[in-house]
Amino acid sequence: MSSSQFEPIPMLKNEPSATPTQSAEPNPIRDAIAQAIAEHKVILFMKGTPEAPACGFSARTVAALQELETPFAAVDVLPDPRIRQELSAISDWPTIPQLFVDGELVGGCDIVIEMYESGELAQALL
Amino acid sequence: MPSPEDIKQRIETAIAGAHADVEDYSGGGDHFRATVTAAAFEGLTRIQQHRLVYEALGSDVGAAIHALALKTQTPSPIQTP
Repeated sequence: MSSSQFEPIPMLKNEPSATPTQSAEPNPIRDAIAQAIAEHKVILFMKGTPEAPACGFSARTVAALQELETPFAAVDVLPDPRIRQELSAISDWPTIPQLFVDGELVGGCDIVIEMYESGELAQALL
Repeated sequence: MPSPEDIKQRIETAIAGAHADVEDYSGGGDHFRATVTAAAFEGLTRIQQHRLVYEALGSDVGAAIHALALKTQTPSPIQTP
């Protein structure tokens, strides 16, 4: 396992302390998530880190990406529950992990593993 | 706390013609594994298939249902020799 394959993203940097509650208010967490998805070809939102996954589903998804030697960005959703809340609002997907490729949700653990086993994941990552 | 039977019924009620096999694989009432077979999945991507199942279970996914390992499939065509 090589740490060079993953790039942690400091999702909460420069975040104002006030929590906006109105949808019309600025939403820095949602904006940061959307920007991270747009800026990284392969990005995984997970519990824990690739080196220390905090959930078996996240661990299996990381393992599939590492088997394919795919460089990927990773975001740990655990430090702040709002990350997960805003991510699910963007993706319309209730569970973690979530893998995005080229800005599109590919799936959670089950779909990623099915696609890994069928060879579709390698194709999707090209 | 949902039972495997509750989850099965909610999926089968929400998705017409679906057949769901649900098991509580941890025995703790919050980690489930489901295989859902439905003709309604025909022509949908896996993402869309899984979303239909998540919609059937609403906000319980990620809450009371901590984890749901999900496999979706369309009914197998009859194999001819």
